[in-house]
Amino acid sequence: MALVLLAGTGTGVGLCALATLLYAAHSTLAPHAAVAGVTALFATPPLRLATVAVGFAREGRPRLALAALAVLGVLAVAAIRAAMGSLL
Amino acid sequence: MGLRFSQAVAVSLTAIIVSSSASSATYVEQGLADMRTGVVLELATASGALAAGLLASLIPQVVLLALFAAVAWYTAYASWRRRGRASEGEATGAYAVRRWGTGLALSFAAGAASALVGVGGGFLKVPAMALVMGLPFKAATATSNFMIGVTAAASAYVYAARGDLDLSVAAPTVVGVKAGARLGSALLPRVRSARLQGAFAAVLAVVGARMALDAWSLVR
Repeated sequence: MALVLLAGTGTGVGLCALATLLYAAHSTLAPHAAVAGVTALFATPPLRLATVAVGFAREGRPRLALAALAVLGVLAVAAIRAAMGSLL
Repeated sequence: MGLRFSQAVAVSLTAIIVSSSASSATYVEQGLADMRTGVVLELATASGALAAGLLASLIPQVVLLALFAAVAWYTAYASWRRRGRASEGEATGAYAVRRWGTGLALSFAAGAASALVGVGGGFLKVPAMALVMGLPFKAATATSNFMIGVTAAASAYVYAARGDLDLSVAAPTVVGVKAGARLGSALLPRVRSARLQGAFAAVLAVVGARMALDAWSLVR
């Protein structure tokens, strides 16, 4: 769990730090690095919930695993609605 | 910085995700975050955010701001009064969680506040867990930190898809917030709960004042 959080946050923050340097250097690559960094950060909450759900399922607590999956479902709906909105 | 309000909210939500993810890693390792309570309350929070998204156009923003300002001031007062009774025992399972109904209702309101006013929702979740549900203050803080990133993500996706996220502002903000979150999560176990609760009450009072000012500016 902690490893998932550290990996997602570390990758996202690392790419954002790189983007900051590239912005300072007026590089055209800066927005690409920033998009990759923010995408990695945005992926962290659903990954966190999925890891929690798996953890609860392994511990034999199916109701809590379902609760985590339900929240994950709400996040998925928000992401899909956002994506559809940006396409329309 | 000259950002539009919606752009500022988008950067703020991204910062909440970073702060939540960075500090949660430490809190999960330390066993401070109560995952069971967090996940169950997050169901109510996500439902609150979803419902608020559907009702947003029906409720005047000035009413919401005034209401949440009053709630923030009340919880600041309650937190300040009870700071001397803050428990230091913070290990998950070392305490009994009670009054789930009230906790779920307040989490629902926190989700609605997050979606309607663009705040993290921690100003309602921490008092709900610490003052109502019986979690030690540090456990409530760590659990709220774990939750707010998930709540913020749902709104952040919408703002980003609308093109409101200014990447040239978000990138350096993320780096600064990560450093602050790391410092905060390292300090949490060392600070006495009573002091932490007092500081929380002071921040809540400022948040309430800010919301009241925003409401006043809409009335004028």
